[in-house]
Amino acid sequence: MVQKLKAEGFEQFQIVVSEVENKNPNGNIFILFSGSKDTTGQSWCPDCVEAEPVIEKALESAPEDATFIYVGVGDRSSWKDPNCVFRLDSKIKLTCLPTLIKWGTNKRLLDYQCNNLDTVLMMFED
Amino acid sequence: MSTRSLLPQFFCAVERRLTLGIAHRTSCTKTVIRRVSYLKQKSVIALTRRHLISDIQGFIPCQRYTTSTMAPVIPKGDPIQIVDNLIKNNRIAIFSKTTCPFCTKVKELFSSLNLEVAVIELDTRDDGADIQDALLQKTGQKTVPNVFVGGEHLGGCDSTIAAHQNGRLEFLLNKSQAGPKAEMPDDVKYDYDLVVIGGGSGGLAASKEAALLGAKVAVCDFVVPTPIGTTWGLGGTCVNVGCIPKKLMHQAAILGQSISDAKKFGWDVPDSAKHNWHTMVEGIQAHIGSLNWGYRVALREKKVNYLNAFAEFVDPHTLKTTDKKKKETTITSKYILLATGGRPRYPDIPGAREYGITSDDIFSLPYHPGKTLLVGASYIALECAGFLAGIGVDSTVMVRSILLRGFDQQIAELIGSYMAKHGIRFQRGYVPIKLERIEEGSPGRIKVTSQNEVGELLEEEYNTVLFAIGRDACTNNIGIEKANVMLNPRNGKVICDEKEQTNVPHIYAIGDILDGKLELTPVAIQAGRLLAKRLFGGGTMLTDYVNVPTTVFTPLEYGSVGLSEEDAIAKYGANDVEVYHSFLTPLEVAIPKRDDNEGYAKLICVKSLNEKVVGFHILSPNAGEITQGFAIGLKLGATKADFDNLIGIHPTIAEVFTTLNTTKSSGADVLQKGC
Ligand SMILES: Cc1cc2nc3c(=O)[nH]c(=O)nc-3n(C[C@H](O)[C@H](O)[C@H](O)COP(=O)(O)OP(=O)(O)OC[C@H]3O[C@@H](n4cnc5c(N)ncnc54)[C@H](O)[C@@H]3O)c2cc1C
Repeated sequence: MVQKLKAEGFEQFQIVVSEVENKNPNGNIFILFSGSKDTTGQSWCPDCVEAEPVIEKALESAPEDATFIYVGVGDRSSWKDPNCVFRLDSKIKLTCLPTLIKWGTNKRLLDYQCNNLDTVLMMFED
Repeated sequence: MSTRSLLPQFFCAVERRLTLGIAHRTSCTKTVIRRVSYLKQKSVIALTRRHLISDIQGFIPCQRYTTSTMAPVIPKGDPIQIVDNLIKNNRIAIFSKTTCPFCTKVKELFSSLNLEVAVIELDTRDDGADIQDALLQKTGQKTVPNVFVGGEHLGGCDSTIAAHQNGRLEFLLNKSQAGPKAEMPDDVKYDYDLVVIGGGSGGLAASKEAALLGAKVAVCDFVVPTPIGTTWGLGGTCVNVGCIPKKLMHQAAILGQSISDAKKFGWDVPDSAKHNWHTMVEGIQAHIGSLNWGYRVALREKKVNYLNAFAEFVDPHTLKTTDKKKKETTITSKYILLATGGRPRYPDIPGAREYGITSDDIFSLPYHPGKTLLVGASYIALECAGFLAGIGVDSTVMVRSILLRGFDQQIAELIGSYMAKHGIRFQRGYVPIKLERIEEGSPGRIKVTSQNEVGELLEEEYNTVLFAIGRDACTNNIGIEKANVMLNPRNGKVICDEKEQTNVPHIYAIGDILDGKLELTPVAIQAGRLLAKRLFGGGTMLTDYVNVPTTVFTPLEYGSVGLSEEDAIAKYGANDVEVYHSFLTPLEVAIPKRDDNEGYAKLICVKSLNEKVVGFHILSPNAGEITQGFAIGLKLGATKADFDNLIGIHPTIAEVFTTLNTTKSSGADVLQKGC
């Protein structure tokens, strides 16, 4: 079973990633960056809302030893801030939401590519 | 495959026609039609003139025959029409002069091949000169013979003989023989509408466009590792081991130059500023990795099936694909597009493959190359030498004869001398004959023995030896003979018509493997997109291979569009060509006080065409950026006066083209002095 984790904000994200890296240095880590969910459990970012079930479905065929981390990058105004740390961090350099990254590789899917089952499956299959 | 393998079929057809009673050798004084056969001469029936003329449609009669019965065939007096008719209605049409030895040679060639030709002897007609003008307009060629085969312009004597040798003549003859293409049967079911072999610049462009237009498409792309094991991802030569990493390393070298200039502009740059090979390679490879992934995503999104497998023909509609794990699959397709590109050639000398590398390896080399020998005078050799030297690598270029064959030779030599002044060593007149490993390592040490024309030997040690002596089309291991696709026997490239169609109607070819065309990424992309539009979108546009701009990214870049000075003189004659030129010094180098008058600009104009600019050449920083824009001017037929009438942007390098007023023939000094 794919291990599914969640992180909210940059600090928590860093902690979660380094824990996973330590525990399972050779496993694949997939990270989905989304607009954070509000109290109703809905993200403010409509594309993220659309992508979630597609990614859930694709995860069924992800490799057993993989880890999937769902990261909320904050509310709309903190994301829109050009100095948002998720935009600036040299390893992440987000430009849009949602973004799905295979950690440690050049493989990433950007906005509408994350709600195309075909391309998401390709990411997990590799 | 033999050049002549398909000719017997053609002879049979000639023979059949002859036995049906078409005239054998018949001639009138001013226009000659020859139908020659080595066979069945006796069975040929002499025809009355009237028969002859109605039989040979489009036959352009001499004045004697222009009776009222002929009127509908030949709109009298319009030379353009006369030219077009002869070309349209005869498989082989020659415009000739009775006194011209080259015309005789061409006619003899065809008669030795037992081929029928239609000839207009221009010097025996009152309207000969008008026809010659019409030919100039149509083909840009004024001289005779002017030969057309299957409606396509072949050129003069030399080009015709070359076409005979390289298979193009046979190709055109077969094509015109086949007549209009039979539509492909619709009832046969194939796995795909289009399978593209090769996921490079051309193949990706074609497959994505075809899929957008609704075709069911697969792309097979497989990289055979280099002898030292280098391999790469989807995207072909340009992205992985060509344009992209090359331009990025060129940029690394330019930055080195800028860092040293910067001190003169007041920047406090430490003298210890050093270049790190690994950082550069990592940065470049990371970028390439994201491009590889991007291509795969794009194919997926457009529903193109990507097969990471080597493809080869089983029969004309069937391919066998073999993946990394040696798993074989068979696929069939209605259309097949060959876009397999080329790979670097190794010389046939001891140690070349074992110890040498090529451009396929250098861009991801995991260690600093150390003292490097670059063998070859190709643009790839010079570009690699340029960026290596620019980042501080000890670089030597070994060249057998001229630099940059096919490019303007004056500029080629200017490039060479600039590079020599900037620390690149040239060993001219030598070729390597042996490589021996002296020491293993990363890099190791290699002893190179080379030899010049008179047999003198030269021995020297290097850490890295990079061969850039040419590239071979990847057509020799794909079972192409099982599909009967014709290749130029001299270079293994695929012979195609202007629609990129091979002799096998459902098989096409684009990109670097196309015979007689340019090996450039944007050319491959354009050909791929337009071909897909014609196949699946009702498109009619053909790729225009004329006036394609290009740039060599040597330390001083060389941008050009149109003809080299040599080619212009060959085409128009020295008396009809005027060259305007100037040396130049970019303002940017004035303060560091380097490279005085190292840049150069020239326009090549044809006097009789109102000084139309047929060649544009610039040697300067950013020449690529300059050339791209000006190319549209040449495509639109700009004259020297149009350039003069254009107002410059000051201060730029490109503005020099608005003020070129010294001709080369005047011999006047063109060194630039001050603003
Ligand atoms: C060092 C270098 C620098 C260059 N710089 C420039 C430049 O600055 N500007 C420019 O315009 N051009 C440049 N070029 C040329 C440019 O790279 C080529 O013109 C272009 O890539 C040709 O595209 P293509 O589609 O014909 O083939 P390619 O891009 O070569 O793609 C062919 C693909 O087919 C694959 N293949 C071959 N056979 C098979 C098979 N049987 N089955 C499956 N796959 C197969 C190959 O592995 C490859 O991936 C450069 C080339 C080199 C080598």
